[in-house]
Amino acid sequence: MPSDKNNKIPFNEDNYTHNINRNNERSLDRRGFMKTLVGAAGVFAISSLPWGAVAAKELMGLGEKEYSHKKITDVSKLAVGDSIDFTFPGDHDDAILIRLSENKYVAYQNACTHLRCPVFWVKEEGQMVCPCHHGFFDVETGAPTAGPPRRPLPEIQVKVENGAVYAVRVKRYEA
Amino acid sequence: MKRSYQGVLLLSVILLLNIVFTQKMVHQFFYENYVNTLIYCGLNIVLFPVAWVIYKKLKKA
Repeated sequence: MPSDKNNKIPFNEDNYTHNINRNNERSLDRRGFMKTLVGAAGVFAISSLPWGAVAAKELMGLGEKEYSHKKITDVSKLAVGDSIDFTFPGDHDDAILIRLSENKYVAYQNACTHLRCPVFWVKEEGQMVCPCHHGFFDVETGAPTAGPPRRPLPEIQVKVENGAVYAVRVKRYEA
Repeated sequence: MKRSYQGVLLLSVILLLNIVFTQKMVHQFFYENYVNTLIYCGLNIVLFPVAWVIYKKLKKA
């Protein structure tokens, strides 16, 4: 004989769930959906703020950091085609200055962009060499030409003043 | 009761615009067009009060 339990709504069973009044709280109606969309617009607005802030910072030129100028060497001590090691901007940021011609100097932070071995200037080959894994860099631009490194060396701007070479600033890294 | 879905449609359009502006903003940022980044950021922010007003007006429609 079938029980008549199933025909009563709610059937009289003492499991403490039949008497919960859910009141449609899980259903998403039209107004609730609109509310969600407004909330999404708010989230979009808030998450736009950091991008705007960083863009404004770039526009105001706060990204260009200027270090105090540092004397590297006297012009008379560096023959054309020779290089000299120095540190810039900090004492542990090794860099290299190369005199390419009478008035042309280039300087790079010489930690290899592969695994930060020091990069050397090889005068005979006319290029910069990382001895660890045979990475090669173009001396004019610092761009990698062969070997494991894929990113250019950070360039340091230099200026010549009163017979001495000064490091001015590190150029922005450009991917 | 017959409901108007005008508000839902308008807010959906705003959500679409939000997505488009965010995409544009991020891309312009990486292209280093910072003025455009700021414009899209402003548009994204303006869309929120617009969405709020639309909700206020049409929630009972």
